[in-house]
Amino acid sequence: MTEQHPLGLSIQNLTKRFKSDTALDDVSLDVPAGGTLVIFGPSGAGKTVLLRCVAGAIDPDAGQVLVGGEDVTDAPPEQRGVGMAFQNFALFPHMTARDNIASPLTAARQSKDAIRAGVESVAKLLKIDHVLSHAPRALSNGQKQRTALARALAGKPKLLLLDDPLRNVDAKLRFEMRLELPRLLADQGATVVYVTQDYKEAMALGDRIAVLNAGRIVQLGTPAEIYQEPATTDIARLFGDPTINLLDVTPERDGGGAIVRLSDQRLPLGPGFEQTIDHPCAIGLRPEALSFTEEADGVPVTVEAETPFNEKIVTLVTTLRGREILVSRPTGTPGPREGAARIVARPGAAVLFDRETGARIPPAPSDKAQTEAA
Amino acid sequence: MDHAPIWERWLRGVALILVVLFFMFPIFWILVMSVQTNETILRSPPSMAFEPTLQNYQALITGKLETQAGSLDIAFMQNLWNSVLLSVCSVALALVLGVPAAYAFARHKFRGSEDIAFTLLSFRFAPPLLVLLPLTLYFQDIGLADTYVGLIWVYQLICLPLILWIVRGYFEDISPDIEHAYRIAGHSWLSTFRRIALPLAGPGIAAAGLLAFIFAWNNFIFALVLASADKQPVTVGALAFVTASGIQYGQIAAAVVLSIAPTLALALYAQRYLVEGLSLGAVKG
Amino acid sequence: MATATNDAQLSPPTRRYSASKRLLPYLLSLPALLVCIGILIPFFTAVFYSLQRFRLSQPWNRSMNWGENYLNFLSDPDFWNTLQISLTYAFLTVGLELLLGLAIALLLQKPTRLNNFVSIMLLMPLMTAPALAALMWKLMTNPNFGILSYFATVIGFDDMRWGASPDTALFTVILVDIWVYTPFMMILLLAGLRSLPKQPFEAAALDGVPKIQQFWRITLPMLTPYILTASLFRLLDSIQQFDIIYALTQGGPGDKLMVFQVEAYLNFFQSTNVGRSAALLMILWALTFFLSNIFIKNWLRLRERARGEV
Repeated sequence: MTEQHPLGLSIQNLTKRFKSDTALDDVSLDVPAGGTLVIFGPSGAGKTVLLRCVAGAIDPDAGQVLVGGEDVTDAPPEQRGVGMAFQNFALFPHMTARDNIASPLTAARQSKDAIRAGVESVAKLLKIDHVLSHAPRALSNGQKQRTALARALAGKPKLLLLDDPLRNVDAKLRFEMRLELPRLLADQGATVVYVTQDYKEAMALGDRIAVLNAGRIVQLGTPAEIYQEPATTDIARLFGDPTINLLDVTPERDGGGAIVRLSDQRLPLGPGFEQTIDHPCAIGLRPEALSFTEEADGVPVTVEAETPFNEKIVTLVTTLRGREILVSRPTGTPGPREGAARIVARPGAAVLFDRETGARIPPAPSDKAQTEAA
Repeated sequence: MDHAPIWERWLRGVALILVVLFFMFPIFWILVMSVQTNETILRSPPSMAFEPTLQNYQALITGKLETQAGSLDIAFMQNLWNSVLLSVCSVALALVLGVPAAYAFARHKFRGSEDIAFTLLSFRFAPPLLVLLPLTLYFQDIGLADTYVGLIWVYQLICLPLILWIVRGYFEDISPDIEHAYRIAGHSWLSTFRRIALPLAGPGIAAAGLLAFIFAWNNFIFALVLASADKQPVTVGALAFVTASGIQYGQIAAAVVLSIAPTLALALYAQRYLVEGLSLGAVKG
Repeated sequence: MATATNDAQLSPPTRRYSASKRLLPYLLSLPALLVCIGILIPFFTAVFYSLQRFRLSQPWNRSMNWGENYLNFLSDPDFWNTLQISLTYAFLTVGLELLLGLAIALLLQKPTRLNNFVSIMLLMPLMTAPALAALMWKLMTNPNFGILSYFATVIGFDDMRWGASPDTALFTVILVDIWVYTPFMMILLLAGLRSLPKQPFEAAALDGVPKIQQFWRITLPMLTPYILTASLFRLLDSIQQFDIIYALTQGGPGDKLMVFQVEAYLNFFQSTNVGRSAALLMILWALTFFLSNIFIKNWLRLRERARGEV
């Protein structure tokens, strides 16, 4: 074997327009060999177009695609050495599941025995070895999805492209697969690009997540970075369930630092936010970063409604000025009294955004940052 | 909804019988006539009491017509053979030319593709003589006059648009992702076309081919203008036969039966394709 | 590490399609293109002929006379007769076939086994070559032994001469046309009827709307696109009818049934007047071109709809 190129996939300045719509606008991305990158974004963001450009199903207008260091921008799909699972499965309706899965192996002109062995091992891995003789229309949705995945894996591609493969399967199966996929993908050793609209999938599967919106990458980072430091209010809203609380605030000067007021209660922003004073902002508070408190410095709120979920309870409260806030707590922990209650935010959990642009305002690097940390 | 009054059900029943009678009777009558001798045909009033005979068919197939005046040669079997040859070859050629083009039109929206498709379609509705008359003069110049090749070429005028438009619709119905998936699996363009696109569009190609065959078989004007007696299909031949044989009505009826039998059999065999084909895929039945 | 490298790595705007890939669709459609050209050359030749004084019997007398062939039509009673008979034939056949086809489609609307069987049986006239159908009817109306002539005598029309008499020739060819093409209307309208959504009818039935009113208020408006498509399709064919008329009467008796294509055919092969023949066909072409454009637009819309619903 030749030595492996450090980059499993490199996308450089990829641009694609459809008539007047710009589907991809100068997108650049690197994925290290063996790494998993999740491309996350709302529908119409260009995720699928990006994946198709990599697979060769769509020709980009400009830019390069390098797979394992090799420029494949002008190569036909069959010469790119990629495997792909489609959102709508795209199974060959006139072939059995076995022949579907075997298609990358027949293309490689493997011997009959090798094809049989290859199909059976990947089918066993995905637990569909008992339905190999079925035609796609005789398969359940879950089996279709696994067949499509098996077909993508069968050729042992260096680069695996998964286009929202769990989109069209039911919730239970999606949950199972979310647990199963990371191990499966890690075992393959392939570079993986995974497209999804589901933030839980993105958080569970990606070493890195690229957030795509309107054909541009708006944030690229680890799942924790994206969850805790979302680059924009849009991203903050997309990640997390229940949705992040976003409240319009204008920071004020209070003593040495900046504070915001909720129900007339001071909420210190921490160091580095002095530049935001008197600037219209929005503060983002994750529901699970809020908790009820008996302390007098808690923010006074009125409890409006409680909704229990399986593992958590979400409470809707309103501030004195009637602004709605969601508070989430693990099931089994004590709840607030009826009516009046007080809430407190976990220190350092608040994220501040510019109200006009929606961009996150990071704390300014400051030398006395240590002093006020509490 | 099902509780229609008695009189309405009766009315429907009577209407249905009248409809079936009107549309089926001519075929029935010609069939009956074809197994009668001239004597029983000419009886008045007509009667269903007769001894069925196959002598009319026998005469057509042997090509010898025995009359009081003597023996007469009939070339009807040659006409039948011409019909088969012209229809089969025209459809085969139209499929070879039309299916790849239909695929190109369905998959690659390239410059001029719509123009070509529409020109072909609009000439499906143009007067055929408009193209045929100049062609008779051209064909004489280039030596295609009265040849099978020339006729098959002209038959493309009906077969090709039909195949192009029907098959194109079927190709458009195949999800491009299925083809992408096969290519990403490592197969070439050609192998994807053969293993994925062609089999999946198979029913459409069959429907289009069938319909093109029926239209080619039933065509009258092309051969009337361009073919001489020994190249003529049954549609033109049967008409000429009437003039030539004079009063041999039994044989004429038998010739008509033999001429319409192939298309009727095909139509009944594949009727479920026909509705789509007839409307060029516009109304899915 | 996955890193966004959005910094300027300016790649020149490159041509993305390799030459072979761009050529492929053209290559695939080349044969169809050639046939297209094969149609267009004779078509333009016909345009050229229509502007000439051109008789096959007098090749020495051939010259451009520009619009003279067309101008002559204005004062040519034969032309006006042709135009009138063609339009009469087209509108009568299509109108009658539409009414009859719609009635039969409504009769067969419920997809019972019997109805489906009948609708398949009705395919048979449509699959019969029109020229042969004309021949069948010619036999049926034969004065010596034709069954229809016999029936006519029975009900009192002693001297019914069908296609041979100027009084009944039009009636006879229209009858044959109806026999052949009504099933076409019926099949398209039946497919349309059966594809209509059920809800409006159920709602109307619940509201107690009588069936007759359901037909006028719901069925007919919703069926209109199908009616339009089927009628235009038939109109395009009918205005060019040749097979039935030529096989049955060759345009006669006299010039009673001289529709465009029959007149043009006889002009070309009997009077060898190529110029006049071509000019006649050009006028027919202009008529059909106008109609076919409306038709194609309508049909494409219907096709899109059928596609969307599948």
